[in-house]
Amino acid sequence: MNPVFRPVRELAEAVRAQRVSPVELAETFLDRLERLGPRYNAVVTLTRERALVQARRAEGEIAAGRWRGPLHGIPYGAKDLLATAGIPTTWGAAPLRNQTFDFDATVIRRLEEAGAVLVAKLAMVELAGGMGYRQPNASFTGPGISPWSAEAWSGGSSSGSGSAVGAGLVPFAIGSETWGSILSPAAYCGISGLRPTYGRVSRHGAMALCWTLDKLGPLALTADDCGLVLGAIAGADARDPSAVDRPFAYEAGDTTGRRFRFGVLGDVAENAEPAVQASFARSLEMLRKIGTVQEVTLADLPYEAITRTILFAEAASAFEDLIESGSIAGLTAPEDHHTPYARDAILAKDYIKALRLRALVMREADRALAPFDALVAPGRPATAPPLGQEFRDPHRPARDPMGAVGNVAGLPAIAVPNGFSERGLPTSLQFMGRAWEENTILAAARAWQSITDHHLKRP
Amino acid sequence: MSEDPRSQEADALFALVRSRYGTRLTAEQLESVRRGVAALVEQAAALRAVRLSNADEPVQRFTPYRSDE
Repeated sequence: MNPVFRPVRELAEAVRAQRVSPVELAETFLDRLERLGPRYNAVVTLTRERALVQARRAEGEIAAGRWRGPLHGIPYGAKDLLATAGIPTTWGAAPLRNQTFDFDATVIRRLEEAGAVLVAKLAMVELAGGMGYRQPNASFTGPGISPWSAEAWSGGSSSGSGSAVGAGLVPFAIGSETWGSILSPAAYCGISGLRPTYGRVSRHGAMALCWTLDKLGPLALTADDCGLVLGAIAGADARDPSAVDRPFAYEAGDTTGRRFRFGVLGDVAENAEPAVQASFARSLEMLRKIGTVQEVTLADLPYEAITRTILFAEAASAFEDLIESGSIAGLTAPEDHHTPYARDAILAKDYIKALRLRALVMREADRALAPFDALVAPGRPATAPPLGQEFRDPHRPARDPMGAVGNVAGLPAIAVPNGFSERGLPTSLQFMGRAWEENTILAAARAWQSITDHHLKRP
Repeated sequence: MSEDPRSQEADALFALVRSRYGTRLTAEQLESVRRGVAALVEQAAALRAVRLSNADEPVQRFTPYRSDE
């Protein structure tokens, strides 16, 4: 069996039945990461030694009849903002390229307990994009490159997590999202990416960009695989006060015959690129085969300004040392050398106002979502931008109500492929649910993938 | 200096930022920072335009601490 581009679900069955060896799996993906990783600027550090120790242990345990579960013996990559004992954790930033911790992040530890095999620390936008980058070349490992075009960005900030999965360099990866950093690489790399509810997954050992917005989640070939991974990493953690005691058990049941209720903001694709609009229009027709689609409206609130104020103020504090010392001049993106200084102009009362408005947004989002299983929207308003192109104007921020509301209210969302542009770049569909409804949006995404084949296309 | 209150606020806040970091920035970078401050002032204006009641609390976690609990 060729394990490349096989879903975790299939690999797990083969590993459990001992048709595939965890050591062979690790070696296969280590080899691909080493040979092909540079093509996508996807890898920071290969973790060969640790991987082979974990893989041999898994092989021995499974041979002895001690199968831990679906991630046992499965290789994965971690965004390089997750602490791994004795292995550099660079946060994508040149000034920190030798940074090393002496402990594992909780997510890394939980995946080890599940028997997963860490094969690589994956590239990311420096400091998870917290300094305000506006073009793809914003990491000391170079711009992330989409598996679908050598000229297109892989998205960010979980750039390597997206491209490594999309190029078949790892079966799954862990990314993080503060605002768009899981959904964007999932969309640009043509894979599935799950942003869990805020507090579902411990961030202990993860770089902090914005304490009240940061989430960790999986990127994989299928929605089902995202559910399997979330099942292993979710849960309370005394070392992260935001991680709540709200048990999660992945419900992977058959969705055949299940009818879903989808809501859609009337103008949600209004400013999207034509290819994205076309894919989304076709998607709405397809979704009517598995449920109802009804237009919904949100109250008129400055959603983007609220989320951005919280993000900028907390990031200014989280990286105070780097900014005040001038070390940001050593970052890769020229705009990251000075953009953060402006944030000293955010007044405390405006940050507090944003936190007060956040309560309104949370209630409004829940009101809008309550009659539905999910709100649907394009995963991103555009396909992957060219490597040399700016994709945002910092002085005229674009509208992104789904991203602003979903992240400031801490709501789960999953992005899945829903088509291709004329240039052959993937487009994406997102399902966003009420808080703690990962199982509902995963079921909707699985149902989507049961009636479509976009997720089966390979670059 | 502009007579527009929002521009005056942006000018004042930019003066603060420039006093802190101006010596380490080029003229081009300073101009970008000035535009960044102006965008933040616009952003703050959008927040201030929404009326809230005295009872509308910020969403933030705070729990008094005891080492033995």
